[in-house]
Amino acid sequence: MDEIRRMIKDRCMEKEEPFCASVCPFHLDVREFIARMRRGAFNTAFRLFSNTTGFPAIVAALCPEPCAAVCPRGTVDAPVQLNLLEKAAVAYAANTKPNSYNLPPKKGRIAVVGAGLSGLGCALRLANRKYRVDVYERSGRVGGRLWDEMDPEIFLADIRLQFSNEEYGLFLDHAVETLEPLRARYDAIYVATGSGGDAFGLTCENDGLEGIPWASRLPGVFLGGALLGASSMEALSQGLKASLCIEDYLKTGAMRSAETLPPTRMRQAPEAIVRTPVVLPADGALSTKEEAVAEAARCIRCRCDACVRHCGLMRSYSKFPGRIAEEVEITITPGTLDGNGTVATRLIASCNQCGLCAEVCPERIDMGEFLRASHQAMREKGAMPQAFHDFWLRDMEFANSERASLPAPPPGGASCTRIFFPGCQLGASDPRYVTESYRFLLGLEPGVALRLGCCGAPAVWAGDMELHRRVRERILDDWRSLGSPQMIMACPTCLEMFARYIPEIDCAPLVDVLAASGHPPAERVNGEVVSVFDPCASRNRPESQRAARSLVREAGYELAPLPYEGKRAQCCSYGGQIDIAAPKYARRLAEQRSKDGEAPYVVYCSNCRDVFAHAGKPTRHILDVFFGLNGWNAAPPTFDERRKRRESMKTDLVQEFWPDMELREKEEIMENRKSIVISPELREKMNRERLLEEDALDVIEECERSGRRIWDPSAERFFGCKEIGYMTQWVEYASSPEGYALFNTYAHRMKIEREDAPHGRN
Amino acid sequence: MEETKKLFCGKCMVEMLPAPTGFSYLGHAFRTDVLRCPSCGQVFIPESLAKGRMAEVETTLEDK
Repeated sequence: MDEIRRMIKDRCMEKEEPFCASVCPFHLDVREFIARMRRGAFNTAFRLFSNTTGFPAIVAALCPEPCAAVCPRGTVDAPVQLNLLEKAAVAYAANTKPNSYNLPPKKGRIAVVGAGLSGLGCALRLANRKYRVDVYERSGRVGGRLWDEMDPEIFLADIRLQFSNEEYGLFLDHAVETLEPLRARYDAIYVATGSGGDAFGLTCENDGLEGIPWASRLPGVFLGGALLGASSMEALSQGLKASLCIEDYLKTGAMRSAETLPPTRMRQAPEAIVRTPVVLPADGALSTKEEAVAEAARCIRCRCDACVRHCGLMRSYSKFPGRIAEEVEITITPGTLDGNGTVATRLIASCNQCGLCAEVCPERIDMGEFLRASHQAMREKGAMPQAFHDFWLRDMEFANSERASLPAPPPGGASCTRIFFPGCQLGASDPRYVTESYRFLLGLEPGVALRLGCCGAPAVWAGDMELHRRVRERILDDWRSLGSPQMIMACPTCLEMFARYIPEIDCAPLVDVLAASGHPPAERVNGEVVSVFDPCASRNRPESQRAARSLVREAGYELAPLPYEGKRAQCCSYGGQIDIAAPKYARRLAEQRSKDGEAPYVVYCSNCRDVFAHAGKPTRHILDVFFGLNGWNAAPPTFDERRKRRESMKTDLVQEFWPDMELREKEEIMENRKSIVISPELREKMNRERLLEEDALDVIEECERSGRRIWDPSAERFFGCKEIGYMTQWVEYASSPEGYALFNTYAHRMKIEREDAPHGRN
Repeated sequence: MEETKKLFCGKCMVEMLPAPTGFSYLGHAFRTDVLRCPSCGQVFIPESLAKGRMAEVETTLEDK
């Protein structure tokens, strides 16, 4: 986790400058400038440009556009015409007067030697901050080499305008022969005597390794501009920076040269740039307002934002990795004793763990793993709400209990060659997915053992690695007792979990085994178009992705590609079991994913199948196609059905393949308990709120046993509650000829204090 | 669930009346009035409270 945090800090390129700003001598915030221009906000665009460059009219006239050479548009059509936009901003801003700052005068006195662009830039910014500035110029005019480069009317007007609110001293025809008299009268000096000008014998203290302006060996004396070989624009930029170096010196006494910014590390996300013709001014000189807005709209505002564009979570929260890392940090290690400020708890619990972020990041920063580790840290501190994962952890407990789990050797005493591990949700979705697959595998080779149960993913997603360790140990024990053979995995998530946490087990994906079997799918259609939705856990399994497609094609389907597939597979919304912590977000994701492609989906993860079925998307599992099972609109099972299906599937499988195996006492099985009558509407509500029938029955039986219940004489019903896991579940019920009639059930996460009400607590 | 109708403790057969009750969640504890049995202290939480104010407080504490 610390390593990823360091990666985020050192390598995330979110804050890197775009290419254009990086080569601009002024480092103009081009993204913001463009944003203002494209909405026609010429005033504020001009203000940004003016604040950055000091003399906007001069810069707009002289800027040689170094940005054009690095604009990624240049490789597609034509670079964004930034200089034309600058000119338009200057031309169309309604107010181009400089701001007037009502500040008290400052103490420092500064001499600027040379009234060229660099010296004037330094003088302007110091005067803006109300330092006393005197400019000494050898010649009789200001502007230096600008006289050779542009129309004097323009630059003289701009200089006059920019200084119009400031007081400063200008001494023309005043040659400075030596610095000593100035040093006696001034606190700092900027030497900008121009190309071939006098450096007064001063050199850089650091062999030119530092940025310009240089801090000389004389305290308070800085050098910059054309004197050191700068072009006009660089000279002005250095003059502006010199004002900062001087202010730094006046405040701290430290002689520091300007910092040199390293070149941008930005990498343009590999997105296609849509070819858009350049918009040049029709009159050949100045763009109209409309032309400027259209040209600004061509800018793609380069930014490394692949994670935020592709990851549903980062997009939904509009947060980059750096910000997330900061919020996670204060959430895991809050600054106050009572844990206030755990701002990122829900964000941490909302990650699907799909791995797409690392896939699309040019630096491969794995935010998913970062959030998983954060989740674990929160869990270990007891700071993660247990209710976020309790339902699924109890589901895992059920799947690994005697009621639904099974390690069984190959039927009929065959020696074990492989183990089929369908995963706990496949049989919950449809038991035939497991039974048909198992029969098929036994047809391929008789030595296939069966291991029903959960891989431990819910524990990993809940950050409970101790619980996961126990699940893992049991899987390993069963695997070893069967001779440590290869395992055939039906669920891509199980496969991913095994690859990561139980790498000693050699695994083969079921879909690969089916494709390699040479058996054709049971059904044959004629060119219906479908899309294969790759599960996120298949991201690094191109063979499985190919196998699934080959089976679908073999069944006669045409394939329509999806925007996210293969290496860029995205989660259907099931991953991380985030739906309790973030129900709305999970629902939105499922809806978005189901609209990614117009054609029906074929999936090879039963969780994807059930999620899409729930979202109303016509979807089939690859096993539906291969064995000719469900159609496109099979309803997803309820949570109650998911339990019952797994329980009866185990019983049925044992009866078919291991008739001699002793099953545990039947009484514990749900079918054998008192029955409970529930209306279809209540069943639907219970499924929506993840309230199980067998838990409701537990609550009723507890109420009946203890007598702790509340009587409603008007309806002749009882109320009562019991803690189920980390929830307190309430029931409203009455006795009925079948057993009980359940009229309502609901739950809350808060606990009723023990000393106040000891009901239902063990 | 209508909050005005009379409910009785099934154990003591006395009417449930509002009384201060302690709750806790994520390390925070608070007290509020809910229906209780004056005799044995048994508590009743109607669905409107569980899904309303209690759920709001739960979410607030989770996001705090």
